[in-house]
Amino acid sequence: MVAGRDALRMVEAARAALGDEARGAALARQRGRGKLTARERVAALLDSGSFMEVGGFATAEPDGEAGRRDGPADGVVTGTGRIDGRAVVVVAQDFSVAGGSIGRLGTTKTVHAVETATGRGLPLVMLLDGGGHRIQDGQDARSFAHASPLIRTLARASGWVPLVALMLGPGFAGPTNFAGLSDFVVMVRGLSAMGMAGPALVKAATGEEVSQEELGGAEAQAHRHGLADLAVESEAEALAAARRFLSYLPANARAPLPVLACDDPADRREEALLTLVPESRRKGFDVRLAVAGIADTGSVFELKPRHAGNMVTALARLDGRPVGILANQSLRLGGIIDAAAAEKGARFIAFCDAYGIPLVSLIDVPGFLIGPGAERSGLGRRSARLPFEWAHASVPRISVVLRKGYGLGYIAMAGGRSMGADAAFAWPGAEICAMSIEGSVDVAYRRDYEAAEDPAARRQALIEGIRARTGALRAAEGFGVDDVIDPRDTRARLIEVLRQVEGRQHGSLPPKKRAIPPI
Amino acid sequence: MAAIRVNSEMAGSIWKLLVAVGDEVDEGADLLLLESMKMEIPVAAPAAGKVAEIRVEEGETVSEGQLLLVLAR
Repeated sequence: MVAGRDALRMVEAARAALGDEARGAALARQRGRGKLTARERVAALLDSGSFMEVGGFATAEPDGEAGRRDGPADGVVTGTGRIDGRAVVVVAQDFSVAGGSIGRLGTTKTVHAVETATGRGLPLVMLLDGGGHRIQDGQDARSFAHASPLIRTLARASGWVPLVALMLGPGFAGPTNFAGLSDFVVMVRGLSAMGMAGPALVKAATGEEVSQEELGGAEAQAHRHGLADLAVESEAEALAAARRFLSYLPANARAPLPVLACDDPADRREEALLTLVPESRRKGFDVRLAVAGIADTGSVFELKPRHAGNMVTALARLDGRPVGILANQSLRLGGIIDAAAAEKGARFIAFCDAYGIPLVSLIDVPGFLIGPGAERSGLGRRSARLPFEWAHASVPRISVVLRKGYGLGYIAMAGGRSMGADAAFAWPGAEICAMSIEGSVDVAYRRDYEAAEDPAARRQALIEGIRARTGALRAAEGFGVDDVIDPRDTRARLIEVLRQVEGRQHGSLPPKKRAIPPI
Repeated sequence: MAAIRVNSEMAGSIWKLLVAVGDEVDEGADLLLLESMKMEIPVAAPAAGKVAEIRVEEGETVSEGQLLLVLAR
């Protein structure tokens, strides 16, 4: 029998063997790629000294490939820790163990971590750096037919606890699916890649030759496809982004929002907002300036900034309270909502609603994209996801028409009474109607003005006649909006409404079992 | 020398050309204004380069994906 102290010494020696110091040779390649080790990442993510490992002594199954016995932690470091004093669960794949591939016990540990997050109601942060399933382990029906419940467990956690995926290396197949289920995904330029399969498998299967970067690098997946929310320059930035993201979120869907003390006055008037909207209705303006001017100074955290830029989505704070802001960006595609913008906006609404984050919609929308290209993109169905999400949302909602509120786009942005917003405002220059004014004249009054002596003058007169009936005051006369507000007072008005409607309002839905999202 | 093809992201008409063949442009610089759905929509250079070819004229209708101009770098 080993005496207590000796037994403890053996345990500590085994623990030391897991550490980076003891694994210098194995970690040299990881470091050679300029990457942090799994344990360095965990340490950098969490508050100093707060990591409590779970399953560190687990090893790769002895019946696996030769050499697998040396598979510390079976390639995935899991446990709990704290970020800004708030508890989180963390999973870090270790690329230095069989390329970060997912082994059997590693999978069991990961499922356990997800279950811990779910059971305790804590955010889950996944630091992904691996190639998916271990091919050697997976090509055996005896093990693979079982199929891990990991993805089901993650899917069921969605909307209950915040799910964060940092892609810190190649993460094709499985990890890409994890990212697809996550609320916040970050890639590092030149380091991260993800997709359904990596270049080698693509070439073997279809003969297509494509580089890892072109196939699934940050430019492709964050900017073009919008699978990731953010592309950053370094691992340190990615870890910082995860910490920042979580600072806006509750621990789970039933926990209170993290409200911070705010030294930005609630009644601060942003003078620049008065002249932000250009004289010409045809010209774009940077709606991010409106977002920044209204929100608490320095609080804006834009998600997917370079994907579907026509729909700005940002987490921010108003008087210290987290809010989600959607805004049409006229600098990109004129602010028109295409399939990518609809999906980006709808997903953001669902995300904010899941975690009790109030929503603010800043409307300047000329409409949905139209034409054969729009139809090919499935916009008919995709466009319906925006109103679908608004209609099922229970968080406080406020709309402000900054300029254009046209057609279905106005409704899809929760304008007026369409989505039961807690408050509906318009800026003085707002223009609210069913379709573009010129378009409506050309469609409905063409015969009228073509028969006139001076068709151009008649057309212009018709346009002016309609324009006079589409303004903000006219909208307020019909009580379509609560008030027409001085743009400089937007911040104060939003804050006062949010103070009054704090919390969720569960309007009664029909007695259905579940909702069916259009996409 | 690599050619960068700039295609139209959406259907519309060419409202204004802002560059000429031979111009050097920075990444993000506006190359032309497209008019669509009564909005002026700037088309920006995806990368820095020299305007090698302009394939459209002002007033011309373009479709989604249509080649507008080519940059060389």
